[in-house]
Amino acid sequence: MTPEQKLDALRADVDVLAAATPETVLGSLPNWDSLAILLVVSHFEHGHQQTITGAQVRACRTVADLLALLPHKP
Amino acid sequence: MQSSLTHVRLAGIAVTIGSVVRDFQAEGLAAGQDPAQLARLAKAVGLRERRVAAPDVTALDLCADAAARLLDEAAVDASSLDAVIFVTQTPDHPQPNNASLLHCRLGLSKAAAAYDLSLGCSGWVYGLHQAAMLCGAGAARVLVCAGDTLSRLVDPNDPATAPLFGDAGAAMLVEKTGEATSMHFVFGTDGTGASAIIVPAGGARQPEGAGPSTCLSMDGAAVYEFVLREAPPAVAGVLKLAGWTPEVTDHLVLHQANRFVVSSVARKCGFPEAKVPMNLVEQFGNQSSASIPAAMAHACAEALQGSRRRLVVCGFGVGFSWGAAALEAGPMVVAPTLAFPR
Repeated sequence: MTPEQKLDALRADVDVLAAATPETVLGSLPNWDSLAILLVVSHFEHGHQQTITGAQVRACRTVADLLALLPHKP
Repeated sequence: MQSSLTHVRLAGIAVTIGSVVRDFQAEGLAAGQDPAQLARLAKAVGLRERRVAAPDVTALDLCADAAARLLDEAAVDASSLDAVIFVTQTPDHPQPNNASLLHCRLGLSKAAAAYDLSLGCSGWVYGLHQAAMLCGAGAARVLVCAGDTLSRLVDPNDPATAPLFGDAGAAMLVEKTGEATSMHFVFGTDGTGASAIIVPAGGARQPEGAGPSTCLSMDGAAVYEFVLREAPPAVAGVLKLAGWTPEVTDHLVLHQANRFVVSSVARKCGFPEAKVPMNLVEQFGNQSSASIPAAMAHACAEALQGSRRRLVVCGFGVGFSWGAAALEAGPMVVAPTLAFPR
């Protein structure tokens, strides 16, 4: 997947990120809450077969930080 | 641990639900919550309505109703039961246990064993295993009841837990059989997660409490991570013990925590959604240890009444505790799910 495809997939699965860009600051989103974090964890699990924790998501500042949790595959 | 038991069968199930309907949107709006946020939660998690017990009704009452109806439908005399096991974390009293109270209500023999299991959402699988073990050790017929009134343990002002739980009681009959049928089990516990689902006060450690300390608190993200980490391997484990695959299994019945969790676990287990009941929680709420039989009665009743089905079940929750089973069930008694009082 290209970076753009990864962002599109994340936007499709996590409602509060529907209009997000890589620069979007997660804490600035009005509904960046525990449900949003669950949706991100689920997106990684089912969209990328990658298990991440809620703590990893909470430690991210921006959408780009979230996408950086994905392994870089050539 | 893993366990396989033979010459035992699940002979019947019955479920009784609370009689009071609580509407998720109406409750949230009455509590002053944002309508858009309520709609978002309803869509993502699958919250619509739940059934809770009437004020004077306990898990014992719900289970006693289910047990009486099950014995009646199965034409089983209560005096023929060798044991009754009661799975609950909301017993009527600290002492005596619910099983002894149910023993009295149903009129069981003085020769019958009666004991409680203090387990939550994994409890029905543990109860099934206990009953199957008793049948392997000389019992002919065991009644297992599983139920809770968790709606009373939540803080009504906590939007993270208040809308989740419904109240229900289930009963099942487990019998020794001459047939070479098998039940396979996988159990596990991760006590490091004990604080993720907890009611801090009310036990011997903290007898007195007020406000939130007397209510169920839950770290939803930690629970979700736990379930995705432990439930799929447990399901894979019982499939391996049984020599089955998702393709040859008729139903995967998961603890009905919420639609989001059930859907996630089903996907990770490799089961198509058509084989996995998952709309139950939208109508009844999370019914704790009664949710697996409730899902069976709701979604698989006709199949179980009329034919032999390959079932995989998995419960997970407070503890952290989990249990999975693979068994062939049916034809068997599946009593209609009814509310109490009627």
